[in-house]
Amino acid sequence: MSGRGVSRPTLALGLSALGLSLVTLFGLPTPLQTIAALIVLIVLPGQALARLMPVSDVALGALLVLGLGLASLAAVSTAMFYLTIWSWQACVVTMGVITVLACIARARQEVTP
Amino acid sequence: MTSTLKQPSPTHARLWSARDIWCTVAGAVSLALAAGAAATVAVPVNSDLGLVGVLPYPFWVGVLLLNITFVVALRGDSTGPARRPVMLWLIVVLVLILFGAAAFVTDVPRGEVAFRHLGIADTLSNSDGIDPSIDAYFNWPGFFALLATVLRATGIDPVTVALWAPVLNMGLWLTAVGVLTRYLTNDPRRRWLVLWIFCLGNWQDQDYLSPQAFGFFLYLVVVVLLMGPLAAKAAVFRGFKRADLTAWWKARTPAEPRPGYRIGALVVTLLLVAVICASHQLTPFLLLIAMTALTLSGRVWPSRLPLIAGILLVLWLVYPASTYLSGHPPLADGGLQTAIEANLVDRTTGTAGHLLVVQVRIGLTLILWALAVAGTIRDWRRRRLDIRVVLLAVTPLLLFPVQAYGGEMLIRVSLFALPFIAILASSVLLPTKGSTRPTSRGTLVLVPTFFLLAVLTVTGRFGNAQYDVFADNEMAAVAAVDHLAPPGSAIISAAHPTPWRSQDYLDHRYRTIEDICPSDLSAATCGPLIYRYAKHNSAGGYLLLMSSAESSLVVQGQTSQRGFEELEDWLKVQDGVDLAFSNGDARVYRVTP
Repeated sequence: MSGRGVSRPTLALGLSALGLSLVTLFGLPTPLQTIAALIVLIVLPGQALARLMPVSDVALGALLVLGLGLASLAAVSTAMFYLTIWSWQACVVTMGVITVLACIARARQEVTP
Repeated sequence: MTSTLKQPSPTHARLWSARDIWCTVAGAVSLALAAGAAATVAVPVNSDLGLVGVLPYPFWVGVLLLNITFVVALRGDSTGPARRPVMLWLIVVLVLILFGAAAFVTDVPRGEVAFRHLGIADTLSNSDGIDPSIDAYFNWPGFFALLATVLRATGIDPVTVALWAPVLNMGLWLTAVGVLTRYLTNDPRRRWLVLWIFCLGNWQDQDYLSPQAFGFFLYLVVVVLLMGPLAAKAAVFRGFKRADLTAWWKARTPAEPRPGYRIGALVVTLLLVAVICASHQLTPFLLLIAMTALTLSGRVWPSRLPLIAGILLVLWLVYPASTYLSGHPPLADGGLQTAIEANLVDRTTGTAGHLLVVQVRIGLTLILWALAVAGTIRDWRRRRLDIRVVLLAVTPLLLFPVQAYGGEMLIRVSLFALPFIAILASSVLLPTKGSTRPTSRGTLVLVPTFFLLAVLTVTGRFGNAQYDVFADNEMAAVAAVDHLAPPGSAIISAAHPTPWRSQDYLDHRYRTIEDICPSDLSAATCGPLIYRYAKHNSAGGYLLLMSSAESSLVVQGQTSQRGFEELEDWLKVQDGVDLAFSNGDARVYRVTP
């Protein structure tokens, strides 16, 4: 984090979310689809949300990636079922949007002096 | 262990020693021995002791070698235990051996419930919205919504997910417990030892693909946040006078100095609480009790957190879960006597082998609790007892008399207490004076202790293997019923567990013989009841009789093998009953309406 510009990890996270969401939606061969979907649904949102907190302990950060990723996907999926708008594609898009929004929030933190 | 440690200290880098390399190799050998031995076990398991009765001796050689290796690695040298990757590798091997043993035996998931949970996720993903009138699961659908999304988006085989779920869940739990210990002790030996004991004491078998396993992981993450960024430093406690209490309460200070971090942690905690409330019936109550106890001890900074969590819980019960609760008052089967009967008395029946398994489970729990009491006394005498750990170990017990929970409350209580029991027990297993490096004599105590705990855990976890590990023939029979039975027909199995309902969850009426005849399974009494139930169903009925379900009734003392044969003989000669499918381990009878 430079204090003046958006950091590379934030950019990489946001762009990965965009790219992997599209790839997951279009579909990949089975083992690659599994990996891509898990990353876009759980790992990237968890990482983007955890980065909004100033966590200095790597182990706690890793735990929060898992916890936040799983919990936010559960919350999004449950809400979609109650709203009768669920589809796995809609969940992928929503988790991608959450990741990008979290990256934007993080970028604002980074550019703020 | 007297206060929250702000910054866990990193283990300084060291070169790999010969001991590190040998420990790594020994871990691999242990895994190869245990997995290879487990793979030779024939299914169905033919012992009322479960897997422990049929596992060949190389499995136990692997377990013993692994525990010796762990103790050597834990002892390490004067600078500390073996390198972190070595210790992590040994934990991974232990998890694979203890929690993946059944997956080495067969590629069919154990037990009935994981299949049912796959069926619920499948039903959700094929439905328009959530119908809470179906059953309790649809009043707490959070985990199933998550599962449905993951299964559909990844395209992964659901049965494979269920098969390896225990290993995955243990990985998640251990990650959380590992982070938790970093806030409680700087001693790396003690941290690794806690994880080892947590594995060795985990006989409860709640790590299958289930909402409670997911809820327990989120519970542990919340506890980590309460111990870490949301912790408070309490002032010296002076007494219970009103003025003393007020002064003590006001003197609390946040352990985390950055307000932004605390707010972030609070938001994360509330998200986790909400998801727990949406996913499982019991976990939010255990979380609320733990959270309240920690707050009242003055060791949690946001003092209104229990209130907010309580409101979230009540809101969930009053709105999304109201359909279920209106017909099932939560305190209907409460009371200490009911709880004892459901959790202990009703479970201590069956064959001699099954009774031994039940006694092993109770014994293992008591051993760990005794070690924890000894550790508590030891820490207290040395003025390093962390009251939060004691509270988290004890508070789950408060829920025991409130709800029988189908006879499973004691299992859940012991699971939720286990991480903290392990932390307290670790105190008594390491030296207290000077270094915590075990002495040579101490090593001779630790190895047999760990090996004994491992044997007891394998006995307890896989003690029902005679009826919860399914043969391929039995799976073929279930598939045949799924194929033969038209929508609306009744499918009657002998007993739980039966690996059914993973598809067509809503298409049939699923019953077991023990459900239809709860008190008497004799041919004269039970036969007509089953026959009438199937016959009067407009779409007919299918009677699924499998070796494992028959064993379930026999092992748990509900009938005898002879009695069960008489029941089947009576049923198969009735009018309109014909054999639709059979193989070496199962028969399917069609009952024409």
